Amino acid sequence: MGTESREKEISHDEFDPIGTLALIAVYFLILVVMWIVMWYAEFLDGGPTVVG
Amino acid sequence: MEIHKYEKAWLVGALVLIFFFIGTIAYVSAVVGVDMVDDSGGALDVDEVSEDERFADPRVEQVGEDEYEVYMIAQQFIFRPGTHDTVDVPENSEVTFYVTSIDVIHGFQLVGTNVNTMVIPGQVAEITVEFDEPGEHGIICNEYCGDAHADMEGLLVVHPEDEWEEMQGGDG
Repeated sequence: MGTESREKEISHDEFDPIGTLALIAVYFLILVVMWIVMWYAEFLDGGPTVVG
Repeated sequence: MEIHKYEKAWLVGALVLIFFFIGTIAYVSAVVGVDMVDDSGGALDVDEVSEDERFADPRVEQVGEDEYEVYMIAQQFIFRPGTHDTVDVPENSEVTFYVTSIDVIHGFQLVGTNVNTMVIPGQVAEITVEFDEPGEHGIICNEYCGDAHADMEGLLVVHPEDEWEEMQGGDG
């Protein structure tokens, strides 16, 4: 139906989903920042904490 | 097998993330000294709590220069000491709480902190806490223990050092 003519074969290394990569990178960054905030608030912000 | 460069990056990134997570937790455990609540408090016969020398007279006791022990009974619907009288400790002290229940399961938590343990009849909950700054901490029961559970609360006061010395002087 015409679509076949628009198909293009690319090699393995030509596949370059840069948008997906950026999305995952942003997600990764959010995850790391949230972890650090949680970790700091839980353990290092100076309130009383269990030590034994 | 051919692995795409983005997949390689993802594999490495995920591994780094795991080591980062473990590393941060290992750091607070090994360097900062943060610990978990464990079963080191041991067990005791719930009918003989009043004969146990620690709990016959629930109290705050000084056991070292900056070390204190709090022997506390949780019961429907008070903490002894804590509810009718405050738990008083000085700043820059290391306080070990021994808490047991004489009726049902209670909770013991300093509001907004991770000083939080279940208080189980027949068991002694033992947790050690460092108080570096003066202030007041509410104690709440966070396990439903009956009709007046919502009113079960107490107060812990961390006194500034000069105030603490005055209090000690006043007591004789």
